[in-house]
This record gives sequence, C-alpha cells and structure tokens, in this order.
Amino acid sequence: MILCKPIGQRLTVLFLSLFVFSVVNVSAQDAANGKTLFTSKCAACHNVFKKMTGPALAGLEGRHKWSDHNELLAWINNPAKYMEKDAYTQGLKASFGSVMTGFPEITLKDVGDIVAYINAAEAEQKAGGDKKAGPVVEEDTSSQNALIFGIISLVLGVVALILMQVNSNLKKMSDDSEGIVRPEPVPFYKNKTYIAMASIVFFVFGGYMVAKGAIGLQRQKDYQPEQPIYYSHKVHAGINQISCLYCHGNAWESKHAAIPSVNVCMNCHKAINTYEKGPKLYKENGDEVNGTAEIAKLYQYAGFDPNNPTKWDPSKAKPIEWVKIHNLPDHVYFNHSQHIRAGNVQCQSCHGEITAMDEVKQVTDLSMGWCINCHRQTNVNFNYDSTKGNKFYSIYEKFHNDIRSGKMDSVKVKDIGGLECQKCHY
Amino acid sequence: MKKVLFVTCSLALSVAMISCGGPRKEPGRAYMPDMAYSRAYETYSSTEALSSKGINYTSTPVEGTVARGEMAAYPFKNDSTGYARSAEVKNPLDSASRDMKEAERLYLINCGICHGTKLDGNGPLYASGVFPAAPRNLVGDPLMIAMTEGTMFHSLTYGKNTMGSYASQLSTKQRWMITAYVKEQQAKKTGTAAPAATAAAAPAPAAKDSAVAAPKK
Repeated sequence: MILCKPIGQRLTVLFLSLFVFSVVNVSAQDAANGKTLFTSKCAACHNVFKKMTGPALAGLEGRHKWSDHNELLAWINNPAKYMEKDAYTQGLKASFGSVMTGFPEITLKDVGDIVAYINAAEAEQKAGGDKKAGPVVEEDTSSQNALIFGIISLVLGVVALILMQVNSNLKKMSDDSEGIVRPEPVPFYKNKTYIAMASIVFFVFGGYMVAKGAIGLQRQKDYQPEQPIYYSHKVHAGINQISCLYCHGNAWESKHAAIPSVNVCMNCHKAINTYEKGPKLYKENGDEVNGTAEIAKLYQYAGFDPNNPTKWDPSKAKPIEWVKIHNLPDHVYFNHSQHIRAGNVQCQSCHGEITAMDEVKQVTDLSMGWCINCHRQTNVNFNYDSTKGNKFYSIYEKFHNDIRSGKMDSVKVKDIGGLECQKCHY
Repeated sequence: MKKVLFVTCSLALSVAMISCGGPRKEPGRAYMPDMAYSRAYETYSSTEALSSKGINYTSTPVEGTVARGEMAAYPFKNDSTGYARSAEVKNPLDSASRDMKEAERLYLINCGICHGTKLDGNGPLYASGVFPAAPRNLVGDPLMIAMTEGTMFHSLTYGKNTMGSYASQLSTKQRWMITAYVKEQQAKKTGTAAPAATAAAAPAPAAKDSAVAAPKK
C-alpha cells in the first residue's frame, strides 16, 4: 500500500519512484516490465512526452490524484465508472473528445511498473538532451573538376601562344642571319589563314551553341525549384522506407503520379511533430534547415494544432502549392500506370535516386530521344510460359510462339509499338 | 598588349562559364508555347480563375456520389453510433472477387509502414522510434482478433485514434480487400482457434472464408 502526499510536482516524481522502488520491492526489472506493458497497452494512444489521442504521461504523478496508485488503478480498470464522480477526468474527456478504453486486467503492481517506466524515460530524456552529432557534409566534386580542367586548358593555351611567338621570332632571326629578306609579316588579325580559321571555329562553336540551345528549349534537366515546404524525399522514402506509392498511389492507377493531399501527410504528422532523429538537412546554398519548423509549416496548411491534436478538422485544410518539376509538353501523352504497372518500370529508372535526394531535381532530360532509347533497349516482361504474372501482352500471339520456338529470345518495347508516333502524339 | 587583352578576355570567359553552377531554379522556355501548355483544364491547374469566368466548378463530388465501377457507399457516419454499428456490416466481396495478392500489395504499401509487414505492429516507422504511437499488433492483439471486418473498415474509412482516414488513398473495394487480408493473416497466425472467435463475434461470411483459406495454403 503506497500512501504519499504530493509535496511538489518535481519532488513527488522523484520521491515516489524511490518510494515505489523501496516499498513494493521493485527492482530495475520492473521498469522493463513497465515498458513492455506500456508498449502493448498504452502506447497506441499515449506517449511519454507528446499529447496524442490521450495526454502525455510525463509528470503523471504530479497531476490530479495520480500519485495514489490505487486511484490510478481504479481509473485504468474502469474509466467510465471512475469518471462518473470525478470532475478532472470529465475535463479530460471534454478536451480529448474520447474516453480511455478500460484495462480490467491491469493490477496495482502493473501500475507501479508502468509509472516507474514513465519516470525512468523522463529522467533519461532530461539527462541526454544534447548528444547529437552533425553528419559530415560531402563536398560536391564535379564543380571543382570543371574549375581544374578550365585552368589547365587556359595554361596550355597560353603556353601554345608563347611557343608560336617564340617560333616566329626564331625563324625571323635565322632568316636575318642567312640574309633572306622576307616581306614584312602581316599582323595576325589581317592574316587570311587566321581569319579563315577563326571564322570556322566561330561557326562551328556558335552553331553548336545555337543548336544546343534550341534543342534544350522546354527541357528541364536539373530543374530544382524551391518548394513551399522543405520536404526531403531522402528522409521519407529513404531513411523511413515509406513506399513511393503510399503518397503517389495514383501512379499505379492513372496517368498522373499525383501529389498527395494534406491529409496523407497528416496520417503520420498528426503524431510526428518534431524532426529529431534524422540527419541534419541543408539547402543547396548550405543553409541548415530546421525540420521541426518545416513540419510546423505543414500544420499551417492543415489547420492543425499539435497541442490539441484531437480537435483537428481535416476539412479546414488548405492545399499546399507544390511546384511541379517534371513537365511534358501538352503534345506528348505519358501514362504512369502503363509504365509502372504493365511495364514494371521502377520509379528510380526515370526519376533517379529519389531516396537519396533531399530536394528533388529532374535527373533526366525527358526528351524524345531519351524515351525512344529506352523503348529500344527495354525487354518486355512477357511471361510467355506461365499463367501468373502480367497477362497484359497475351494478345501478341506471334511473339509468344516465336519465343516458344526459339526464333526470338526477347521482345523489346519497340516490337510492340514503342516507336510508333501515335502511341504518344495524338 | 594584345596578349594581355587576349589572356584577360579568355580568363573572364572561363570564369563566367564556370560560375554558371548552382541548382537550376527556372524551368526554361518552350518553343511553340501553344503546343506546350494545355489550354484544356489539366490535373492541378488552378481552379480559382474558373468562377470569375462564370464557370460553375465544385472540387468535391456531391455527397453520396458513387463512382462508376465503385462499390456502394458505406452506410454509417463517423461517430460513436456509427462505430458501434459498424460491426454489423459484412464484407461485400465474395471470395472470388478478392485478389489476395493485390490485397497484400495494398497492405504493404499503405499499412505495413506502421503495422509491420508481418502485421505485428512493429513497422519500420515505429521500430526506428520515429513514430511515437504504438501501432496495433493486428495478429497478436486480442482486441484486433475479436474486431469484425466491418469495424476495421470503419476505422480505415474514417481513421481511429492516431491513425488517419485512408478513404482518399484506397477505394471502398481496396479497403474491404485489406480487411479480408488482415483477417486471413490472423487466421493463419492463430491457427484454428481464432476463426471460431471471429465467427462468434460476427458471423460474417468473410471470417468463414478466411478460415477456410488458411489451411489451403
């Protein structure tokens, strides 16, 4: 039997955990037992530090009459009955919008164990507040390479120029000594050979630049716009292993991969309201990004108050205006479901290593040559000898027969119309 | 003098070319913009200008609309009465129209991240400590084993506790397929004991089907 009057909020927690430890003969084992119980029974609705479906449990014993574990037990065993004559828990129902499920199988010892676990977790949190190691930022070496190559070519160019000058001087000297009189050398800008050479170089280089610029019109390779929220695909799809189709489920069913609506973000972010565990995030210019502040931006759009999670009304959410990165001109038809469902193409084949990108950029140029090239090289998954799998291509009887008889070893996309104009332009 | 000029010019040019780094923030220009940008309303086009043009546009379908090929709407509302009555609702999919392979795929994409690929409530998001709430152990928790498919469907449709609504990500049929998949896995995990319990809680044909399906595999 534990009877302990609250002395002060902080002191009580400390005292009581000591008290529980000594009186009920609780050892360290029991915090472990408490953890097991907490995880299996309480954790679905309660967190030690965060308000979720139910209140945060840290500092539990400082509230209401919970320092008396018998009161706590009565509440846990039968919340509905306890609430009848108790204003505090009625208030809890009003603020959280629901009543706790009863756990009649919980005993007094279990309550002690769970409280011991909560106190231990709280103490641990206080002790280990600041042990975060910043990850090493990798330097981008490609731009450095360009600089080095540029300098080398410049130096070589200057050396070549000097050597040419030396050469002509030496020639002049040898001519002088041998007594050969040559006409006064023409300055290089009047030399017809030089002018011809320069114009050819100019024509070739200029033509190349013009052609390249014209071809590059409407191509957006490396396009990396700033998004309204710093959303890291690396954190979500990479580290946390969320399937691409969780958010972009439409890619399986429709032409568009679709951008998830705010409620899809909130499926997880109703509970995850801080960014703590992942690596540090940086913008392209090296500025550090505060992940928690970015989540707060999401809450602005969603109209969600993390201090009052049960009061959220999803219908008040406003859409986030993400900037579309991968654009095809209107005269091109592209269908996601056709590629990933029938064609079994991985997202990364066209979008690159999305799971390693913080801010997404377009890695392929999405040009027609790029499409056609893939259609020429990619094998179609025909499944010609099995009943399971993709039956989409069962109408290509001739190919199936040719494969069976050994005339063909594989069917490429081009064989089933992958190069026909009207497949994509109509 | 000329040499100095030449060297300075080429130096300036190379510096200018190298300094064009950094992320590309502009999408660039299009040739023939009338062919590039759609005049018709495209996905994610802004609808704000439509009303000013006198076009009547509503972004959400009329309540109770059933899409072509979609199953009939779920009858109960998102309140405690609806939740209590959801147990009556039976899975309208017969065993022939359930594609369990597809159901597994849907489960792994949408549910597995929290509830775990083994349905043990220990998905990657919770196991790594990122997600603060413990997802239900769908095959071990007696509450989940006793829960009928109708109630599961209700929670999938409207959300429950920390879980959000999946009605925007999964169609009615897909949601029923997932509840059937969960029941099937429960039957597999608990052997023959559980189906009797589920049958007692709700004599749904779905529960019986999943009980039959278990020994087959």
